[in-house]
Amino acid sequence: MLTVQELESGYGPMQVLWKPSLQVKKGTVTALLGPNGVGKSTFLSTVFGSVEPWGGIIQYEEKDVTALPTHKKVEMGMALVPEGKHLFPNMNVHENLAMGAYVKKALEHKEESMDLVYNLFPRLKERHKQMAGSLSGGEQQMVTIARALMTKPQLIMLDEPSQGLAPVLVQSVFETIQKMRDEIGLTILLVEQNADAALNAASYVYIMHEGLIKAEGNPEEIKGSSDIREAYLGI
Amino acid sequence: MKKEITKYYPLIPVFAAYLLLFLIGRNISGMWQLVAMLLFYCALGQAFNIFLGMTGYVDFGYVAFMGIGTYGMALAITKLAHIEGLGIGIIIIGFILALLMSTLLSVAVGAVALRLRGAYFAIATIGVNEGFRFLIEGARIWNGSEGLIFTAQLNEILGREAASSLMTYWADIMVLIIAALAAFVTLYYMRSKIGYALTALREDEDAAKVMGINVTKYKIIAFITSACFAGLVGATSWALKTPYVFPPEVFEIHYTIEAIIIVLLGGAGTLLGPVAGGLIYGISKYYLAIFMPGFQLLIFAPIIIIIIVLFPEGVVGMLKYRLKDSALARFII
Repeated sequence: MLTVQELESGYGPMQVLWKPSLQVKKGTVTALLGPNGVGKSTFLSTVFGSVEPWGGIIQYEEKDVTALPTHKKVEMGMALVPEGKHLFPNMNVHENLAMGAYVKKALEHKEESMDLVYNLFPRLKERHKQMAGSLSGGEQQMVTIARALMTKPQLIMLDEPSQGLAPVLVQSVFETIQKMRDEIGLTILLVEQNADAALNAASYVYIMHEGLIKAEGNPEEIKGSSDIREAYLGI
Repeated sequence: MKKEITKYYPLIPVFAAYLLLFLIGRNISGMWQLVAMLLFYCALGQAFNIFLGMTGYVDFGYVAFMGIGTYGMALAITKLAHIEGLGIGIIIIGFILALLMSTLLSVAVGAVALRLRGAYFAIATIGVNEGFRFLIEGARIWNGSEGLIFTAQLNEILGREAASSLMTYWADIMVLIIAALAAFVTLYYMRSKIGYALTALREDEDAAKVMGINVTKYKIIAFITSACFAGLVGATSWALKTPYVFPPEVFEIHYTIEAIIIVLLGGAGTLLGPVAGGLIYGISKYYLAIFMPGFQLLIFAPIIIIIIVLFPEGVVGMLKYRLKDSALARFII
């Protein structure tokens, strides 16, 4: 569904990505793991178009989308849940979700998306009139994921969804990810530092280090290789 | 159909305020001067609100668009005065030129400055009016620092009597129309996709991008619209009311600051806010200057601080919140 070949990008004169390649198969959860500061978030931002690619090819559903701006990618069914809970703090939960259905295709399916999202996160339905800024950390993370679902995506990219959450909430985030795959049929690209939880949820794993893909394989293979685990994941 | 009309209910208090101003000015002798000033401040606030209020970006170079609009009208009148039989048409050409020039300037400024965010945007724009002023003076564009004086041309084209009633009465009526038009456009934007995009962008630009909103496009739309209204305000309130233009006067940063105060006092991003802000600001400025000449700024500053502390969302922002669940809610946004 998503094929990235030898992607290069960075900020100003500083190159962050040194030609990593990656593939996400339809209907799977693919995880991109690695420690802090190796370019995982930059990778997602570049794929999504909020950081301009310097080189390489990004293909989505067999179309070359390398140079497309972000809003075009959203229309094509890509969604990004950014790191650090970017909400609209002065809007209530319902309004935040409604904003998600901004592009035309999403607006046509607004009501059904709303039902789907409230089904997935019953907690948000209870709180739909509450200001997003006053929610707890876990609830805010739910809103950002739910809002991304409102854009009616086929591919959803999650940037560290478990960041800053209590262990019990981390577990519920990963349960949600599996539900999104199994019940909604989404394809998921997951960026995580929480390697343990991600290895359990993913069907294929890439390990990134210093802007490169250093290893890839099934979760079992990664777990089985003590070299990889110790060198890059610290577990 | 009914829904279509209720959409525009919030214009009622705005238009009522303008009508009231007009009636007061018309019927109470000696009030027209104050009313004219208030209309100017309301129009200024209403125009600036489209950008500052709706995007949350602070443009410190805003007065440059008023200045360029003033020049648009001035150039039309000075350059075309020799054409016979143009009559009132010359003012229409002046408005078109003012619109054109403020659009061009806003595209040029926006294309560079709108790539920046927050404080960086504010700093980048702070030099626009000064730079433009020195460019005109230094390069002797449009008569440089000597400015353009076109009282004689106006008298010649329209006749002495008509020109004088244009300056003392009709120019103010045009300001009123511009203010009302700006209010209408504000509400139209608020009620359309543009408004939702801008609200999202004001709350969190990155999140707005992720929603598939082309933030650059909507920022530029708001910027150009707001600049065009500034150009129109300049063309009427400055060029037609006082038929001369000098660079230091029309590129004076003071007016930008006044516009910011008006929008924040009334409530940024609200429809009625600029009217409330313009009235509060204009009336206090006028009467403080009469009753305490020389001390008006000293007294004025604490008043502004008090209002901002009491109502951080502006007067109308506070009203909106208080009246949230009442029947009046649909009139005040």
